[in-house]
Amino acid sequence: MNQVELLINQFLEEARNPKQTVTNVMVSTGKKAFGCFPIYVPEEIIYAAGVLPVGMWGGQTQGSKVNAYIQSFCCSIMRANMEQGMAGTYDFLDGIIIPTFCDTMKAILANWPVAVPHVKVIPFVYPQNRTSEYSAQFLISQFRNFQSNLENLLSKKISEADIENSFLTYEKYRVAMREFVELVNYYPKTLNPKIRHMIIKASNFNDKAVYTKRLRHLMESIKEMPQERVHGPKVVITGLMAEPEQFLDLFTENGYTFVADDLAHESRQFRTRARSEGTAIEKMAYRIIDLRGCPFFYEENKSRGTLLKTLAKKYNADAVVVCMFKFCDPEEFDYPVYKNELDKDGINILYLEIEQQMDSVAQLRTRIQSFSEMIMNEIN
Amino acid sequence: MSETNLTSKELLSQLLQAHYAEAIAAKAEGKPVVWSTSIAPQELLEAMDLTVVYPENHAAAIGARKDAPQFISNAESEGYSVDICSYARVNMGYANLQFSEAENIPMPDLIYCCSNICCTVIKWYENIAKKFNIPLIMLDAPFNPSYEVAEDNVIFVEGQLKDAIAKLEDFTGRKMDYDRLKEVMEISNETATWWKKATDLAVNVPSPLNGFDMFNYMATIVCLRGRKTGTQLFKLWYEELKEKADGSIGPWKDSAEEKYRIIWDGIACWPYLGPTYKILKKNGVNMVTSTYPESWTILYEPGDLRDMARAYDSIYTQRNIDYAADRLLNLATTFQIDGVLFHSNRSCKGMDFKQFEIQRRLTRELGIPSVIFDGDQTDPNIFSEAQYETRVQALVEMMAENKKKKGEKI
Amino acid sequence: MFLGIDIGSSSSKAVILDMEGNILAQEVVNIGTGTKGVELVLEQIFKATNLQMPAFKYTIVTGYGRMTYIGANMQITEITCHAKGVSYLYPKARSIIDIGGQDAKVIRLNVSGQVENFQMNEKCAAGTGRFFEVMARVLNCGINELSNLAGQGNDSVPISSVCTVFAESEVISQLATGASRQAVVKGINQSVAKRIVGLCNRTGLVPDVIMTGGVALNHNMVKALEEEIGMPIIIPESPQTIGALGAAVLAREKYINNLKNKTNY
Repeated sequence: MNQVELLINQFLEEARNPKQTVTNVMVSTGKKAFGCFPIYVPEEIIYAAGVLPVGMWGGQTQGSKVNAYIQSFCCSIMRANMEQGMAGTYDFLDGIIIPTFCDTMKAILANWPVAVPHVKVIPFVYPQNRTSEYSAQFLISQFRNFQSNLENLLSKKISEADIENSFLTYEKYRVAMREFVELVNYYPKTLNPKIRHMIIKASNFNDKAVYTKRLRHLMESIKEMPQERVHGPKVVITGLMAEPEQFLDLFTENGYTFVADDLAHESRQFRTRARSEGTAIEKMAYRIIDLRGCPFFYEENKSRGTLLKTLAKKYNADAVVVCMFKFCDPEEFDYPVYKNELDKDGINILYLEIEQQMDSVAQLRTRIQSFSEMIMNEIN
Repeated sequence: MSETNLTSKELLSQLLQAHYAEAIAAKAEGKPVVWSTSIAPQELLEAMDLTVVYPENHAAAIGARKDAPQFISNAESEGYSVDICSYARVNMGYANLQFSEAENIPMPDLIYCCSNICCTVIKWYENIAKKFNIPLIMLDAPFNPSYEVAEDNVIFVEGQLKDAIAKLEDFTGRKMDYDRLKEVMEISNETATWWKKATDLAVNVPSPLNGFDMFNYMATIVCLRGRKTGTQLFKLWYEELKEKADGSIGPWKDSAEEKYRIIWDGIACWPYLGPTYKILKKNGVNMVTSTYPESWTILYEPGDLRDMARAYDSIYTQRNIDYAADRLLNLATTFQIDGVLFHSNRSCKGMDFKQFEIQRRLTRELGIPSVIFDGDQTDPNIFSEAQYETRVQALVEMMAENKKKKGEKI
Repeated sequence: MFLGIDIGSSSSKAVILDMEGNILAQEVVNIGTGTKGVELVLEQIFKATNLQMPAFKYTIVTGYGRMTYIGANMQITEITCHAKGVSYLYPKARSIIDIGGQDAKVIRLNVSGQVENFQMNEKCAAGTGRFFEVMARVLNCGINELSNLAGQGNDSVPISSVCTVFAESEVISQLATGASRQAVVKGINQSVAKRIVGLCNRTGLVPDVIMTGGVALNHNMVKALEEEIGMPIIIPESPQTIGALGAAVLAREKYINNLKNKTNY
């Protein structure tokens, strides 16, 4: 195995074994861990407390304990989180943060202290309205509330300097991530859809400073290789999340390149640039205020369609792949709007309804393969 | 203005008809029309003399008159998932087709969206605003994770109310008359008070109020809260109910006995009002209250914008599970409830995903039996009369058992 | 000769074309992937034509079971194959409604007969052949009799449930309260038609509309669907073998193309 393969495999194994990875990092850094529910959380504040932020984006859990609390028509990530919580998977965390981006998340926040009482929750309420001059003020006060709740929970103080440093670490991480997704365009074989996702996913379980260094090392090593070409559709993928692994394999199987993504789990975490002025807390607040094209926030003049068109044009994409997470209301509401805009511009769309835990991907294989056959026919 | 020769039911019908007719007339005259969410600070709109219609009211009317399928179908062919709220699907379809045999509303020029009822309305109205390319005033009333309403939330809502006033002034080209606003606030408080007094009369055993009637009056607490006609209506309704209560008269015209008193948790299954009502009545079951009356009992100090902000952020849907459970258990005790019927409304995840835990607390702390049935507020495909009847029967059997145990007459 | 094989969820089909592209034989066996279905259908078609595997210059396999079949030169999805099969028989076709055993698809073609857009429902039994199987069992009749039963009258009772399981209990209660089997079957057809129409609206139908798959043999179902979509539906003589036909046509095209490329060196 050469250097690049070795480095990639490390990330792969980490993404496949979140709990083990987090445990290893806790040992090597001496840090405690704090869980972070989707979609956006003030990770910088957690990191500033000298604690490891751990992403909680569901998992390959299909259980039934959660049925005591939630009907079946609930997003699979939230169900998996609750199920894992009730099964004790998160017991080693010092606490978790649950924000409220949708009705389902509000209910999960409501049920968690009852269903998983030993894993302490700090709630976080984001402003949906970001257009008011009071919005930033509200958000900043929420950050500060979270900070003091966290300080109480961990019995330690977080200084302004800690936050500033933490913010810098995260900014470096975001810059590296943006470069990484760009790099995929030149190495679509090595950074195929599955590998691409797993490398990004691995960052959820690692110390960001360490991860960024490793990612840069990987990118340098890859750049020493000759550039690659893959014969298949080039697509922009959009949605909440693109998992599980077997699902992504279907794209690799059919020669797809993910030239760019608009996934909440991936680029939406790092594509918005911070403003140049202000304290770290202010910059964090304004990054949220400035975020565009994400259905988890109210946005006047919804710009996601424009964003997708821009990405498709910039990267010469043949189509947009929609990863519609079953039961995700914000995504379900957005789809017809950006679909209309893409249709008007003649951009092909592949619509896939997915759940995080899928027993069989055979049906999706047919769709993905058919779509590839259709696109490649158009090109030839 | 006295309407002493009209019953409240007749007045209700008249007022609702006028509400829709006025909206259509206003649009025809070139006046702007506002689409608003159902528990929004309508005081601002009323004070600015704007014409407002409520798509939730409208969707319910369409659902009740069984016209929902064509609109739902239309929305789904645009790409809207069957998973999303059926009020939204009906309204999106209506925004395209723009005509229903059931009831009609004019297309909007402004959207007024208060997120206190759920997050879904945010996405729904965001889409409508984009579709019609019209402005949207967002009143984000954040969730309260703690038992009490969070002060930060109140300040934020108050700030947005101020923004809203500025935006309305911009939109109408007129300045806000703060005296008029205070007047509307006073009227709104009075109307809400009479609403509460009327619905509270159901505390009497037997209840003079048939809960399904309460479902009917809901439309007007939504759209006439800030008007004197609203106050009139609910005062009249109160007087009628009081008379019945004083005479120990029960809920039904045919004097059938109110054998069991229940809470119906959730909104009605509008396309199936008939069957859902009949099956309850057949068993002597009266829906005596629900968590809805309280949500429109919006009381605050008139003239105090911050207090109004607090009131709008305090409603049931924006509170944590301890508060929600306490409210339901409180109602169960106050209204001497024998059982609870939980409507697991496919369109309403916010309400549904708390039901199981609330049901457990009900059983554990009050020993009150309950059942859950699957339904939907406007989509007629998500309801099985057979399932509903079976579940209601099961509830009746449990309530009968309970009464026997307590030595009460069944 | 060219061989097209379609291994579906509940049936296996095969079609043979000669060098000029004429259909030599078409066979269907009503058992699908994971069974002896494909062996049986090949046995049948080889018997009918007196041919064996070595006779075929190119073989393409399609359908749900295509991934595990060994013995074909290539596997292509049923979307592409149905499009090919339909446009081979109907050059003016622009839309395909395919209702199979366990899924339903709507495919739109461009003027050259290539796939332009497609929508599938493969997660839910309602609106597929499986739905009819369940109902036939409740009505205590063979699945082939459903069409005749519906044609015996004009009444229908509404079956509104979206879910096959709920619909099953609805049908049972209707029968229990005295509704005729004929009226119930009409209601079932209308219910399926509504589901399919939803899929059609999401894709956008353009005439000529062709229907393929086993359910196309149910004439009353087709009529109900025509009423819902407001367009006439063309049924091929052998609606179940269209996928296999498309596979065989593609096999021939691939072979001819390969030859051309070879000789161009």
